[in-house]
Order: sequence, then C-alpha cells, then structure tokens
Amino acid sequence: MPSTKDQAKQRSAVLQGTLDMLILRTLLYGAAHGHEIGKHIQRTTNDFLQMQHGSLYPALHRLEKRGWVTSKWETAPDRNREFKYYRLTEKGRKQLLVEESQWKQMMEAVARVMWPTGEES
Amino acid sequence: MQWWQIRKRNDDLERELLCDLELEEEEQRERGVPPEEAAKAARRAFGNVALIRERTHEAWGLAPVERFWGDLRYALRSVQRAPMLFIVAVLALGLGIGLNAGVFTLLNSILLQPPIFKDPGSFVQVYPRYTGWSMREDQYSSFTTEDYDAIRNRSKVLEDVAAWQISSVVLEEGNKPNAAPTVTCNYFHIFGVDRPLLGRFFVSGDCGRGSSAQVAVLSEATWATDFGSDSDIIGKTIHLNGSPFQVIGVVSSDAANFLPGGIFVPYTAEPLLDRGRDLFNSADVPWLGVAGRLHSGFSRADAQAELSTIMAQQDRAYVKRHISTFNRKTNLALTNGSFIENPAIRDRVVAMMALILGPLTLILLLACCNVTMLFLSRTVTRRGEIATRLALGASRGQLARMLLAESLLTAIIGGALSILFVYRVPLLVMNAIGARQSRFVLLIHPDWRVFGYLALLVIAATLISSLMPIRAAWKLDLLTALKGRESAATVRSKTTSGLIVVQIAFGFVLVCAAVLFGRLPSLVTGTDAGFDTHHTIAVPLDVDTSAANHAGALAFYSTLESRIVAIPGVQSVAYASLGPFRPVPPQEIRLPGQTVGQGKPVSVDDISSYFFSTFGIPLLRGRSFNSADPTSPDSDSVAIVSEAFAKAFWPAGDPLGQSIVTPNHRRLIVVGIAADTKSESFGVTDGPRLYTLRDASALGGKLYVHFYGDAKPIENAIRDMVKALDRTQIIAPETIWESLEADAVQMTSLAGIILFMASVGLLMAVVGVYGVLSFAVNQRSREFGIKMVLGASRQTIFRSVTLQAIRNTIVGLLCGVAIAQPAMRTLAQFLSGPYPLRGLITFALGVSAVLLLVVSLAASWLPALRATRSDPMQALRAE
Repeated sequence: MPSTKDQAKQRSAVLQGTLDMLILRTLLYGAAHGHEIGKHIQRTTNDFLQMQHGSLYPALHRLEKRGWVTSKWETAPDRNREFKYYRLTEKGRKQLLVEESQWKQMMEAVARVMWPTGEES
Repeated sequence: MQWWQIRKRNDDLERELLCDLELEEEEQRERGVPPEEAAKAARRAFGNVALIRERTHEAWGLAPVERFWGDLRYALRSVQRAPMLFIVAVLALGLGIGLNAGVFTLLNSILLQPPIFKDPGSFVQVYPRYTGWSMREDQYSSFTTEDYDAIRNRSKVLEDVAAWQISSVVLEEGNKPNAAPTVTCNYFHIFGVDRPLLGRFFVSGDCGRGSSAQVAVLSEATWATDFGSDSDIIGKTIHLNGSPFQVIGVVSSDAANFLPGGIFVPYTAEPLLDRGRDLFNSADVPWLGVAGRLHSGFSRADAQAELSTIMAQQDRAYVKRHISTFNRKTNLALTNGSFIENPAIRDRVVAMMALILGPLTLILLLACCNVTMLFLSRTVTRRGEIATRLALGASRGQLARMLLAESLLTAIIGGALSILFVYRVPLLVMNAIGARQSRFVLLIHPDWRVFGYLALLVIAATLISSLMPIRAAWKLDLLTALKGRESAATVRSKTTSGLIVVQIAFGFVLVCAAVLFGRLPSLVTGTDAGFDTHHTIAVPLDVDTSAANHAGALAFYSTLESRIVAIPGVQSVAYASLGPFRPVPPQEIRLPGQTVGQGKPVSVDDISSYFFSTFGIPLLRGRSFNSADPTSPDSDSVAIVSEAFAKAFWPAGDPLGQSIVTPNHRRLIVVGIAADTKSESFGVTDGPRLYTLRDASALGGKLYVHFYGDAKPIENAIRDMVKALDRTQIIAPETIWESLEADAVQMTSLAGIILFMASVGLLMAVVGVYGVLSFAVNQRSREFGIKMVLGASRQTIFRSVTLQAIRNTIVGLLCGVAIAQPAMRTLAQFLSGPYPLRGLITFALGVSAVLLLVVSLAASWLPALRATRSDPMQALRAE
C-alpha cells in the first residue's frame, strides 16, 4: 500500500508530461485565467489531479513563451476586476492536436502491453 | 523575451499571482472559513509564492542571467559598503595581473606571434633537418644555397620563396656592430612589406647570380639611431665590414618589427661581408633561413608534401654527386614563422617563458592571497548576515555564487586596470634592458593571445581569491552564527597558518631570484680577476689568415706589433689563445706514464712571451718563457702552470722540472708557476691552467696591449694605427674593464627589473602576513581576554602570537627552499656563461631567508602587540 506521499508523487509524474496538454485542452473552451484553469482541471478529474500552483504558472508562462497561448488583462464578466486571461492561439490549437495524438498513441501502446488482446481485465 | 523587459514581466507576474491569491481567499471564505483565517488558508493552498515566482522565471529561460545580475548587484552593494577594501583588492589584483600580462605581451610579440602582419595565414617558414651528413647532424637548421634555389624554382604550392641570413657586421659610420640580414630581393615582399619608407627596395637585378650590387636598405631604427633620421640618406655610401654599400631605401619599423632590424643587404653580398668564408658558393653549407607564401587554395600540409618531394630529389642528387659514404636525408618542418614554432629552439623558448612567467605568477598568487584575506575577513565579519540568508532559504550554492560574483567583480576591474600595464610594461622592460635592445622590438601589438591570457588570469584570480571565503561561508555553523556569538571561531587556525606559509614561500622564491640577479653585476665588476683588467686593452682583429694570404697576414701582424709597442705609454704586447670570461673547452693533460683517459681536464692557453707582464699575472716561482725556448708545435718544450695545476698534479712534490704530456703527445717541462686567476667565471678561481708558448710564426690569436696612464688616447692611437695598416679593419679597442662594465650596466638594468618585481612580491607577502595575523588576532581576542582573566600575562600572549608566526614563517621558508632550489639550479643550467650562478645559490637562499624572517617578524609585531591589548572585560561581556 503506497503512502499518500508516493501517491502524490505518482500523480505529479502523470502530470509532468501532460500538464501542457491539459491546459491547452482547457483553453479550447475559451479564455480563462490561471485560477480558473487550475480549478477546472481539478474539478473535471474529480480532484484526482490536485493543481499545484507551483507548476501551473511556470507552465502557463512556458506555453506563452512558445507562442501557444497569449495573455491579456481583461475585466471578468461577473466581477468588476481585471484578470490575466489566457487564450489559445492557432499554433496552440495545432500543438494540442499533436499532443493529443501523441498521447493516444502512447495510451494504445501502454494498453497493448498491459491488456493484450483476448485477455480482458 | 528581452532582458530589459524583465521588470515589466515581473510586475505582471506579481499582479497575476496576487489576483489569483485573492480569488483563492474568496473561495476559502465561501467555503466557510472564517475571514480572519481565509488569507492564511489561501496562502497555504497556494504554496510558496516565492518558489512559484522563481519557477516561472525559470520558464522564461532567463534565470541564469537574472541570477547573475542579482549576484552582481549584490556584489556592487557590498562594494559600496566597504569601498576601501575593494580599492585595495582591485589594486593588488591589478598589479598582479598587470605585471603578468605586461610581460606576457612582450614575450608574445617576441616569441609567440608570427613575424608578419599582412596575411599571416599564407606565410610559411621552412626548417630543414639534414641527417646522415657531417654538418649539424640531427638538428633543425638552415638551407644550403642549392636547396633554396631548388625550392624556389620547383615549388608550385609556394607562390614565392625568400631566404636570408642574419649576421653581424660593423657599420663603420657608427663604429659598432650592427645586425645585417643578407636577404633575397623578394624578402620584404614575402614578409608583407610592400612599400619602403624612403627610396626603393631591392630589385631582382640586385640579387642575381654573379651580381655584385653593393646596395643596402636601412631599417627605420638603424636609420634613426645611427644616421639621425637623415632625410637625404638615399644614395649615400656606408661601409659594412670595410666594403662600401649604397643606401637605396629605408624600411619602416612597423613592418620590420619582428625582423631584427639593422641593415639589409642582398644575399649575394655575403662573401663580401664574411671574410675568409664564402657561404654563398659553398654547396654544402647550410646558412639560409627560408620562408614563403602559399598560393591561395593550398595549405601548409600541401607545401610540406611538395617540399619534402623536392628535398628528396635534392638528397638523391647530393648522394650522386658525392661519391662518399654520406647518405644525406632531409626532413622538413613548416611553421608560421614564430619563434615558439621553430623546432630547433622550441624547448628552450618554452623553458625560458616558464622561467620568466613563473616568478610573475607567484606575484599574482601573492596578490590573490591578499585579496583572499580581505574577502575572508569580510565573510567572517558578515557571518551574521550570511547566516540569516541561509536561514531564509538561500542555498549554500547560491551563497557561493554571490561570493564568487564579488571576486569576479574585483578581478574584472583589476584586469581592466591591468590593460594599462599591457601597453606600458613591455616598453619599460625594453628600455631598462638597454637602448640597443629597445630598437629590436619596436612595436608591441597586444593580440588575442594577450587578451586570452588576461582573461585566463582574471578567471584564475577570481577562483583562487574566492576559494577560502566560500569555504568559510560553506562551513558556517548556522546556529552559532545566528546566536550572534561573534567570537565563535569559524576560520580555523589551519587556514591562517596555510596562508602565511604560502605567502612566505612565494615571497622567498621571488627574493631569491632578486638576490641572485642583484648580485651578478657587482660580481662582474667587483671581483678581483687576478689580472690587471684596467690596463689591458683587447684589440679585436679580423685578418684573412688563409694560406693564400699567409705572407700578407704575417706582415700585417709584425708591423702592427712593432708600431703598437712604439706608442708612448704602451708597455708590452701579447697574444693569448683564450679570451677572458669566455667558455673554455678543456684538454686532457697527462703525466708521463699515464695513458689517454687517465689525465685531468685542463684549460690550455697558448700565449706569447710577454703574456704575464701584459696581464699583470705574478709568477710565483721559476721563470717566464724566454726567446731560447722552442716554440714549434711538434717539438718538446717548456710550460708554465698555474697554482691550481700544480696542486692538482703534484699535491706534495715540487712541480718545477717535472714533465707533462699534451693531447698531441708533446712533452713539456714545467719551468714556472703562475698565480691563479679568475678568468673563466666571475669571482671563481680557475681550475688547473696550462700556459704553453705560442709559435712565433703563428697567426691569429687575440692581441692584448698593456699600458700605463689614461686608456682613451692609447685606444684611439691603436685604432688609427690598425686603420692605417688595413683600411678594412673595423676595430674598437677597449680595456677588459670597459667591456666588463658594459656587460654589468646591462645586467644592472635587468637586475633592476627583477628587483622591482621581487619588491612588489615581497611587499605583498609582508602585507599579506600582516593581514592574516591581524585577522587571526581579531578572531582570537575573546580567547586572549579569557586567558588574561585566568592569569596569563601580556608577555605570554605576545610570545604565543609571535611564536606561531615564527613557526609558520619557518615552514614557509622550508617550502620556499623546496621551490627555489631546483628552480635556481635549472636557471643556472640555462644561463651558461661565465656567471657562477651555481655558487650563488646558497648565498641567495641564505640572504633571502634572513630577509624574510626579519620582515615577517616585523609584520607580526603589530598584531602581536594588539593581541596583548585585548580587554578581558570586553571579552567577558561578549560572552
């Protein structure tokens, strides 16, 4: 029985390669600020993926540096305040497709090893 | 993203994080967390904001730049806090780096740079190594005339090939020796000089076979020193070794920088200048240096391959021509023309550079020691601050980087300062060595090697001077430091002792060098040679003594001798085969009955009968030579021996009347014993010496004149007399003393430079030792206070500090001896000649040891005194 610390470690390992993809996917619904992105990922995974701010912000800035997202300070529709909204760029959209297909390939490959045909789990 | 946007980015990120933090707080409140705790809960959920910030910065890819910038700003701030300390450190490093880089610039331009400025990539110099041959076997040398012609005519890879030989001639107008490169007519073109400063260069007609064009091109330096920059020089006639040459041009110094300067003449004029030898027409004698320019598109390797083929053909032709056992084979080395690439002298050049730069490196290391001490003391006084930084989460690596940045700042500014030295030191050195030398290296061009070396020094200085402080910061005990126990020793006594030992050792080595060289000039002029140097004039003669001219030479010598004796004031004239203070190859002298190999090495001087009175060497026993003694080199005769000879051969018996055997089996009977002289090495009594009587009909040998009264008029009279007899003789008679003095003056200026550098080193060592001890005493003031409370007297404390200093000094001296002794031995081997360096080593070691002991005691006196002034009350209060 792995400890909670090990679990957290495992989760972050999952996140490591996929965080960029998850963020890009989240932004496909429309512009969002950092907090929203984090909450959204957390909520959709039923809190399985605890969004660490320590990796979220560096990731956002990394994506921006690569030109996959842009950012702009905008007033939130429901509040009278400005937030930094991130938006998917055309390049980001393409990147999402690339990462998605890579991820699928990977999943299939892993699946083939784990559950060979005819040996349903 | 650009670095100047960092600030904007930072603000942006700050705002973003703040916004989201507020959102988080709101959410926490909505979840029912009490408002007063919501902020805290939000922060907890958010994690370490500083860490997020840092990670995001790293995502920008600018973290290293930013970190470095931060470290540098930190360094600048600490400079502001202690500007004096910084200035001292910068000056110390500037001096240390500057002296090194300055001398390196000089060495670089003399030894490392290729001799040309124009398109150095296509320049190749070729060195042949002839093997299986009688001459200069197995050693890279020069080409024969034939081989040069072959290369020039057959090479397709080389566009053009020049050849030259550097010889020394006497310029009659200046009445002194001058360098005279005898060159092919394309020489200047090959070396990248296309236009003369004045007049014209050689044209191919000047160098053709059978041409005897007596024309000369002056280097700018010679033109300036010997002809006062005479603007009407073109067309004038000058005399070299007695032959007239017409000046056709002047070549600028900039271009002739690497060339030794002097007077350039066509190489066809070589037989004219070189009396009695004709290198130009001797097919077998290598004498020409050869260099060429590559055709574009060819590399040095192509040239190597092609020239090797040409030389192989030449070798075959040579073997065919000489029906002899010699089987000549030639290897080639192609270089860029710099001295360090010259295969014949590469090892010596490297050794020389090591010998020169070695002591200078010690000065830099001493400077680094000083700076280390300054930084170390600051690190220790700032240990509270450092501990706080560590406690707040700075990693030790970060701390080390910060300290490194400080050193780097110091070293870079010191290095920038030292660029001044790079431009000044070489000229200072050359001027100090002598005006005659300074015109040989005219323009010093610092190039990438110099700046590379400078950068290397800066980096080395940075690392070395920050090593100790970093270690101190690394070892810092967080708890004690935070508690503010100022007195807790963080720098162990091992460190301070080590620093003292190092500084004493390095200082000692430098002082040794200075003592060694400082002693030389006075040794040259100050010792009694055992003969009269003041009243003996050496007359240099250059007479063609070949068989063809035998009668003429004989007449010349006998007339000259009789005329010189007639000069009022002249007492006697004598010939000797050995010159004073020149190396003497010993011969084996045996006793009758001993076989070859059983004898002893002896210096043999073949002298004329008035030798002893001319040199003022007293005869201790027996008689001098007289006219009845047989002089023929085949017959048995008489000999006079020196005291040392007598002691070596007959330790107990009476030498008079004994006989000895020379290497050519001549039997000589000893008729007299002469006093020992010190004529081989300065200040060292000669070994066994044998005087044999010179054949009256012999030619050559060195002519000496003994006189009384003032030297000048007699020297002039002799010169005029020789000139009247043979107009082509170029002579400058001077007394042995005068020539020694000239040597000594040169040596004194060289010693001056070394003395200056050693003084700088010594000063740094003293300041360093003082600094280390003061620091150590400050560190231990609490300990001293407690000792006093416990009843130690001030004397005890004074003694303990001084004793520690003495102990360290002695260890330092021992280390110094271990470095200096072998170094000086190498140096003594390297500087062969009449300088008894080997005998001076012990003297130098002794004097330097005493000097350093005194100096380090002086440097430890003040800190020791301060130790006795520690206030026990204060020490206790600090507890």
